[in-house]
Amino acid sequence: MTQATLTVNGRRVAVDAPARQHLADFLREREMLTATHLGCEHGVCGACTVLIDGAPARSCIAWPAALDGAEIVTVEGLDDDPLAARLRAAFTAEHALQCGYCTPGMLIMARDIARRVREPDEARIRAELSGNLCRCTGYAGIVRAIARVIGEGVDAAPPRRALSGTAPLAATVAAAAAPQKAEPAGAMTFSVEADGSTRIAQSFVTPFPRAAVWAFFQDPRKIVACMPGAALTRVEADGRIEGEMRVALGPISAAFAGEGAVSADPAAFSGAIEGQGAEGAGGTRATGRVTYALREEGPEATRVDVSVVYALTGPLAQISRGGVARDLAGRLTRVFADNLAASLAGRAPVEAAPLGAGALLWSMVVSRVRRLLGR
Amino acid sequence: MKAAAFEIVRPRDLDAARAALGREGAKAAAGWQSLGPMLNLRLARPAVVVSIAHLPELRGVSETPEGVVYGACVTHAEIEDGAAPDPTRGALPAVAAGIAYRAVRNRGTIGGSLAHADPAADWPTALAAMGAHVRVLGADGVRRVAVEDFAHGAFAPALAPDELVVGVEAPRFSASARWGWWKFCRKLGEYAEAMCGVLVDPDRGVARAAFGATDGRPLVIADASEALRDPDALAAPFAAAGLDHDPVARRLHRAAFRRAAARAGLLEDVPT
Amino acid sequence: MRPKGVGASVPRREDDRLLRGRGRFVGDIRMAGQVEIAFVRSPVAHGRLRGVRAPERFAGRVFTQADMTGVKGILARSGLKGFRVSEQPALATDKVRFAGEPVAMCVAETRAEAEDIAAEVALDIEALPANVDMLRAAAPDAPRVHDDWPDNLFLETFVDGDIERAAADAAIRVTRKLRTSRQCMAPLEGKGCVAVWDRHMEQLLLWTSTQMPHIVRSGLAECLGLEERRIRVAAPDVGGGFGWKGLLQPEEVCAAWLAMKLDRPVKWLEDRREHLVAAANCREHHYEITGYADAEGRLLALDAVAHVDAGAYSVYPFSACLEAAQVGSILPGPYDFPAFRCRTYSVCTNKPPIVPYRGVARTGVCFAMESIIDAIAREARLEPYEVRLRNLVRPEQMPFRNVTGKDFDMGDYPESVRRAVAMIGHDAVRERQKAGEPDGRRVGIGYATYCEQGAHGTSVYHGWGIPMVPGFEQCFARFTPDGGVEIRVGAQSHGQSFETTMAQVAHEILSIDPDRVSVSHGDTALSPYSTGTWGSRSAVMVGGAVATACEKLGARALRIGAHLLQAKPDEVRLEGGAVVGPGGSVSLDEVARTFYRRPQNLPADVDPDGLELTAGYRPVVDTGTFSYATHAAVVAVDGETGGVELLDYVVVEDGGVLLNPMVVDGQIYGGAVQGIGTALYEAMRYDANGQPLASTLADYTLPGAAETPPIRIAHMETPSPNTRFGQKGIGEGGAIAPPAAIVNAINDALAPLGVEIGALPATPHAILSAIAAAEAVR
Repeated sequence: MTQATLTVNGRRVAVDAPARQHLADFLREREMLTATHLGCEHGVCGACTVLIDGAPARSCIAWPAALDGAEIVTVEGLDDDPLAARLRAAFTAEHALQCGYCTPGMLIMARDIARRVREPDEARIRAELSGNLCRCTGYAGIVRAIARVIGEGVDAAPPRRALSGTAPLAATVAAAAAPQKAEPAGAMTFSVEADGSTRIAQSFVTPFPRAAVWAFFQDPRKIVACMPGAALTRVEADGRIEGEMRVALGPISAAFAGEGAVSADPAAFSGAIEGQGAEGAGGTRATGRVTYALREEGPEATRVDVSVVYALTGPLAQISRGGVARDLAGRLTRVFADNLAASLAGRAPVEAAPLGAGALLWSMVVSRVRRLLGR
Repeated sequence: MKAAAFEIVRPRDLDAARAALGREGAKAAAGWQSLGPMLNLRLARPAVVVSIAHLPELRGVSETPEGVVYGACVTHAEIEDGAAPDPTRGALPAVAAGIAYRAVRNRGTIGGSLAHADPAADWPTALAAMGAHVRVLGADGVRRVAVEDFAHGAFAPALAPDELVVGVEAPRFSASARWGWWKFCRKLGEYAEAMCGVLVDPDRGVARAAFGATDGRPLVIADASEALRDPDALAAPFAAAGLDHDPVARRLHRAAFRRAAARAGLLEDVPT
Repeated sequence: MRPKGVGASVPRREDDRLLRGRGRFVGDIRMAGQVEIAFVRSPVAHGRLRGVRAPERFAGRVFTQADMTGVKGILARSGLKGFRVSEQPALATDKVRFAGEPVAMCVAETRAEAEDIAAEVALDIEALPANVDMLRAAAPDAPRVHDDWPDNLFLETFVDGDIERAAADAAIRVTRKLRTSRQCMAPLEGKGCVAVWDRHMEQLLLWTSTQMPHIVRSGLAECLGLEERRIRVAAPDVGGGFGWKGLLQPEEVCAAWLAMKLDRPVKWLEDRREHLVAAANCREHHYEITGYADAEGRLLALDAVAHVDAGAYSVYPFSACLEAAQVGSILPGPYDFPAFRCRTYSVCTNKPPIVPYRGVARTGVCFAMESIIDAIAREARLEPYEVRLRNLVRPEQMPFRNVTGKDFDMGDYPESVRRAVAMIGHDAVRERQKAGEPDGRRVGIGYATYCEQGAHGTSVYHGWGIPMVPGFEQCFARFTPDGGVEIRVGAQSHGQSFETTMAQVAHEILSIDPDRVSVSHGDTALSPYSTGTWGSRSAVMVGGAVATACEKLGARALRIGAHLLQAKPDEVRLEGGAVVGPGGSVSLDEVARTFYRRPQNLPADVDPDGLELTAGYRPVVDTGTFSYATHAAVVAVDGETGGVELLDYVVVEDGGVLLNPMVVDGQIYGGAVQGIGTALYEAMRYDANGQPLASTLADYTLPGAAETPPIRIAHMETPSPNTRFGQKGIGEGGAIAPPAAIVNAINDALAPLGVEIGALPATPHAILSAIAAAEAVR
């Protein structure tokens, strides 16, 4: 529980709900104000739009405890509002609702538009309405209703007050030199296999003889230690391994636990790590196979070819693909290569580490979530 | 689709905010517009969310001859509505007005957007094109970073766990500056498929372009004068930045540049 | 016609409560002691379920099918020859067959806590290769979705026709492969239910967000092994349906069972992720289609093979084959041509089952047929509208039986084309194309014409042999003692405006002011039986039933009124809310008051059944009404971005007599914008493992106000000869033609580049890819 107080439709309300309960559920479940509807709970559809301190906002992605002192107005609170009354009449006259589910959010938004937009310009009204989805009306009546009310004249919203905060902190630390732009660690290719798995192949050169690199690759603990976020919890003599990997990217973080097996072909200087992992609380599962091959590039340099083939299921898989994986896999590979070089040279890895396969698997995970991460 | 349990901390000042951010599993939130959906989908499961949008130092503005510094928690809508001075001769409010939806702009903040480092978001690209800087509060004080250097990659800001973005410096455009901003979205307000900002300010010796909606950090071309003479000059930087891996994306990014430049009055918008 | 009766644009009586946020949707229902459930869903598209493990501390809070002793799976058979039966367990048992299939349910005081439990339930699943693409799934060597089937086909149908002769004579032959995307209906309110055992009534009460309470009750009774009298299904305010709420869902069976098991109210609200990934899919078609025409563009024959991805299970009550088999009967559309051959496959895949969505198969069929018409027009070097005019059934042929035996009732199909051509300003668009756009975009014009069978009844549906055959539609009507009227109907209104339109019908018959009429619907305890709201049937069937009941009720009121007026029964009529006779009038209030409160004043021969009754209705010809329309679209295509702007959109529609033109326009606008979504935005994509790739509305793009042009509507009015007022079903029509009209317009715009789009949606990426591919060829 977090102590906070809100004003809801003019009434002071103490927030005595678990912090995780979003504002829409708080209004609906605690305050019994069920006009505020939930259509997506991820901030896209607009059905839950309410006024927070006089401005429309999504109540499904607002949290009461963070809004201490805020003034919330729902459609229930607009019963006696003269502009809302005019809009209600216009909505009926223009048949601006059918099932009525989007309507409370639409009305909140319509009222805001009517106060800000001075001319009943249809294109402008449509643009302003773009954050509120309606599946019944095709928007025709809604746009006409708002245009009608604007056309009949609306008192303009008072001009926005200048910002009341204090001046931003001044810089106190001398500017660091612009960070050196890292060179790409090597060509990376992405492809989709016939069975639906994704394949990432990467190649980089490390400045050590092949024998040394090979020896290093035969110790799974060392290899895994080079991968940011990964750690092995068990290594068996028969090549079976268990490990975990903690990863964070933007607001998403996850811990994967998995098991696998290591195999190697010394004659060909190649090997493989196969495994599968699950993200405990999130239900995302991944399976993958990492193969590597070492080639001599002169006596003191070795080219490492790594490919990862993976498949992902569960919630994190069920969001559109983006290209973010390329970026992350590239950065991870760069760190991996740097750490490999450091370890071979007897230095500690640059970033404390958690499974190599896992990191690349993670990059594949995030490739799915790009759209919602935005804003 | 309800968030996993987490705690909300509403710190009384910046020191308390930084202290709270030091806790295990802590995450800062200003407008919650990006974090909120992730919480509800349980893709993000922080233990603690440190809510900072109320802190007065993050809500103010200061103006200097060089430009304007915005507190990190100034909202997109406040910039759109001109609640703060604008040194960019209209560029900033216009970018702000194109972000997502009004209900999102009312909560989402300029600093939050930069700290989130989404390649498809408007501010990282637009501010990089303008040559803006970020002010970051850490243990040693407040450091200053160019926006273009502020992201390691997609969703990877150059920000330590206990650091906070506290302000954004926008440079003052000269009277002769020309600015063009163009983005392409499938649905108005949704994520951009391509975006570009072009700034030519001869009095200050600036001719920059920045591309967003990439897979990683925005691509900044610090000297875009050649590309403005011949857009084919973009081929090399596109290849280096991996923007040419797919013919559709390449086409879109090129179109973004040409159209942004055309809006700035720098290129004829010659139809293909 | 009365002033607020049939044909009047009466403002809606539903609006006020909804505008004040005082509706009651299923999520708003909260009962003492209520618990909520969250489902553990399969993360994989296809696999063997080896086990479900829940932490000890959640004992008694996690349930699987093994706990649901005696609960049967959902069975939706079809009587069509060769149909293969799938049984859908409420919770998966030995196998999981799509990503999102419910496997276990978790119960807690709040949804958040139930989700906490669900997050800790581990599923032991051995993944199997998934059938994702329907064409591959139809191959004999594809892995089986249902192990005991010989292949993955729910049903194959074949309509034979003498194509060869026509083909031999044809100057023009065009073949296309066309695809429509898998979609989600995405009503703004998801599905949801609250189940409670009513101890007093000894009845299971299920509040559910449904279009068909009575059908849900029948299906639920079968699954739970309860008599139907032990179940009451009631729909509160329903936040849109579009077909998604026309089924019995496994989650409803689970909630109902759990409410009885726990003896507590159980609530389940489908969230948007569940809606997108776990249910609610529709409309994925593939066509390989050839049209034959003579040199003048006259159709000689049509030959098609159609696949429909029906998903993993047969949905109750519509079954897994309705959509594909319907293709075989409606593909010829509104056209008159002699030879038709069509093979259809309802393919079983590892994706969620499909449900009929607004327009059902017609949206895909119209896209296929109208694409062929435009292809013929290009071959024949004719304007696309001209080819339509040459092939549409003409008014003088009506009533007309087409090549598949559909009986078109009445209408002037070519006139709808001519009017659309005039409204859209066809010649001006062609001039504009010639002149070119200053911004370099390419302008195109496209048309689509369809006819839509609506309100088809027993004679059509008995042949399907599915669990539901519509028969007589009934209405209960009653005068209250103070002279108001209560109307109860079994269908369900979730935006269709029954509370207004049915009051208008009552007013039309009884002359009583609509404000004195209450219309209730969608509750098995309160209303007569009905198969519900689907198939563009309500205006015809419910309207007819209300009219019939009101006529009978009016006759009773007239007799009492005549007695009170001392007039002969044939001298009185209903007017202005009163019984009017030669010498005066008596209000219906007085008539009702007399019957209920002063029975001593009634005539000796008064009808003892009084002022309430249930009456039924079915048109004598119940093969359906055929509303029709021509849609015309003008687009501007941006060759650099692939963006499509709708510059103009026109609908010329004939819905016969419109009960309430404002409401009809609302249906057309709404349907058309859904069609725009089908055309340009919406796709439920899957990866090769059957993982759905759109689990949020940020991924599944729905058109917003800014993506929607002002749509211009014109009405023609050819009354149906078969219905009570001449009305025709039009609820779905708006959604049928837009994909065809818009893609035809895009293809018209891109024709100079040699680009033709044949798959929905026509996204910027698809258009740019097609342009890039065409450039590579040149």
